Amino acid sequence: MTRCWKGSVGFCLLLQLACTRPAEERTRRDLEVGHAKSAALDVAVAAGLAAVRMLSREQLTLWLSAPSSDFSLVVREPLQLEFHVENAMAALELTDLDANQLVPIVSGADATKKSWLLTLTPGSRRFRLAAPTAGKNGRFRFALLSDVQEAIDRVQDVYRSINAQPELDFLLGAGDLTEEGEVSELERFQHELATLHVPYYTTLGNHELGERPPAYQEWFGRANFQFVHRGVYFTLLDSASATIDPLADDWLDAWLANGRSSVHVVAMHIPPIDPVGTRNAAFASRAEAAALLAKLAEGAVDLTLYGHIHSHYSFQNAGIPAVISGGGGATPELGSDIGRHFVVFDVDATSGIVSSRVVPVDQEQ
Amino acid sequence: MRAVAASILLFVAIQSRPAHGAEPASRSGVPVHAAAISHPPDTKGPAPTVEALTHDRGVAAGLAVVPGVIAHGSGHYALGQRQTAFALLLSEGIGLALVIGGVSTLRATGNSRYLAGPALAATVFGAGLVLASFGADLYGTLATDGDAVDSIPRAPPRFESEFGYRYVADPRFSYGHFVVESLTLREGRFRLAPSAWFATDSSNVRYRVEAAYRVLGLEPGELGKRDDHLDLVLGGLHQRYLPEHFQRSGLEFTLDARFELAHLGDTLRGSFVDLALGYGRARVKYDLVGLSVPTDTDDLLLARVGLGVLLRGRAAPGSEAKLYYDHRHDDYAAGFFTPGRISGVFGKFGADFRWFFTPRLGVLLDAQVGSAVVGGVSLLMRDGNRNTGRAP
Repeated sequence: MTRCWKGSVGFCLLLQLACTRPAEERTRRDLEVGHAKSAALDVAVAAGLAAVRMLSREQLTLWLSAPSSDFSLVVREPLQLEFHVENAMAALELTDLDANQLVPIVSGADATKKSWLLTLTPGSRRFRLAAPTAGKNGRFRFALLSDVQEAIDRVQDVYRSINAQPELDFLLGAGDLTEEGEVSELERFQHELATLHVPYYTTLGNHELGERPPAYQEWFGRANFQFVHRGVYFTLLDSASATIDPLADDWLDAWLANGRSSVHVVAMHIPPIDPVGTRNAAFASRAEAAALLAKLAEGAVDLTLYGHIHSHYSFQNAGIPAVISGGGGATPELGSDIGRHFVVFDVDATSGIVSSRVVPVDQEQ
Repeated sequence: MRAVAASILLFVAIQSRPAHGAEPASRSGVPVHAAAISHPPDTKGPAPTVEALTHDRGVAAGLAVVPGVIAHGSGHYALGQRQTAFALLLSEGIGLALVIGGVSTLRATGNSRYLAGPALAATVFGAGLVLASFGADLYGTLATDGDAVDSIPRAPPRFESEFGYRYVADPRFSYGHFVVESLTLREGRFRLAPSAWFATDSSNVRYRVEAAYRVLGLEPGELGKRDDHLDLVLGGLHQRYLPEHFQRSGLEFTLDARFELAHLGDTLRGSFVDLALGYGRARVKYDLVGLSVPTDTDDLLLARVGLGVLLRGRAAPGSEAKLYYDHRHDDYAAGFFTPGRISGVFGKFGADFRWFFTPRLGVLLDAQVGSAVVGGVSLLMRDGNRNTGRAP
């Protein structure tokens, strides 16, 4: 009996070591992104596609995670509200959905920062942030940049190169913006982004998990989300813990259904499968990886984008074209001659992925 | 935490020894004498000792923890077993060098595709050496029945079968309950071991077969005091995940070895280190209705290190307990999650506890912690008489 008890203690210790859902808390926190309350005002961003960076009686600041976003305000007293939007597309407009009219912009001097002055009366109000072209299908261009990490001091070189790309709508990120995910690093990253002419929509990587709980979502918004731009669906998933949390996996089912009849791009940080399997810079479970890829293939996903590996790989997983691009400046993979880089994609909601090309940064300097 | 788990394992092992220590009895009540073993008795005698700092094993065990957690072998040093202490310290040093070398290589090369495999293998074996030398020091200071260990015959059985149950707690998959069956057949230097896991609550199955050739070590019917061995193992694997619409089939090759720590000193009799290193390659076939999806291929590093002890006293030969780390990511437990930055790299941690009530009948308790938790029990049956073999 005593031996049984000792054995049970040993087994319980092993269970204590186990953590089968490392991303659960983070995923549940996604549901809180875009929601904030003050004495005078409540704000709710549809689908959590923006982080509320500041809310007071006088000011509301949103950090957008997507090219377009709807939000609602519940106003409890008459207000004159300065409304600031960061990480915005250059042509972003604010529409009062209740009045069905554009709200005149106050300031849009910075490429990705916009401001409006809202006169609000008590009640519920609905607004839309979107560029005029956001809902119109057509060919557009975006770029992928991931894994800046400790190379933040040199990131302006990369941004200069990105700014030189013509007709870029936005930059997509597959995580590892910082080295540890500390607040000071997130703040620095947002500060450095001020020179970038296009918004940067991203999910987080394992290097954002140094803080507990990670501060990432307060600064950059949801880790798992979907947006649509010009008819093309973009789904960003949180694979920073080498897994997709089952809750996010449930959301993915609906997102795959949304994008099934259109072009669908899925991005995450850690790839399900590492092309160099003995290294396993990939999901912790090969079975989970295969199950996810089967789901993406069944959902007719057109392109998968990953970071994490500090190089460039182009391959197929479950028949879906895949690109790993970790060229933001973190320690490059030895044996890979690509160095710092980003990848530019041309896409069209009817034609699919039209083209992609790797842009080396250091060779362009 | 691992040290605590190791201490519990060692404690359980030591609890199983007889009250008087040196002279164990078999389950049938007939004494098992060292003379029944084909190998001559160890003529080396106890390792040369120098004046001990303490004769109190409790104090020595404490010293094996502090400062032993830093300087492995401290417990043996206190007992006057300087040679063993030095061997354990050297093992720790080599292990640390391998870990530092491996991790530094990974960091400096940005996980280079050309160096990541060897660097990870070095890291796994280095960490294994570090943990094993610490555990061995603790074991050697606490275990007092080395002579009893020498009287346990080590012949591998010609036939062994397992029938059991496993629970798999994985929130990503619908399965949970498995029936497990395996069979091991040995003839001379050859071993064949088919096995299968069948989910009872989902359409999931895993078939595996191992064919092995023993390069070094005991064969069935050959009795010995030590079970050091080196096997070449060719494995085949087929897994079906019908609800998830894929199948995984692979081949793998491993070198599988056991090293008895008694070679480092008499105090370590009854403890061993298991090591395995290999390479696997698999095809993933997707079964999606109405879609033709190309097959994916992937490869994986196979590396396993374990520290174990033989159970004696009332346990029949073949009984042992083991803690291990297994780097593979393609089975039910898969790889271990860590809460911070390092994700996806680790394999799983596990514990095995084999207890034979009689030379032919025993149980296996098994637990693994990776991205899923796997645990269960199996009934073990094997051939063999009291000594699990015959003297040549």
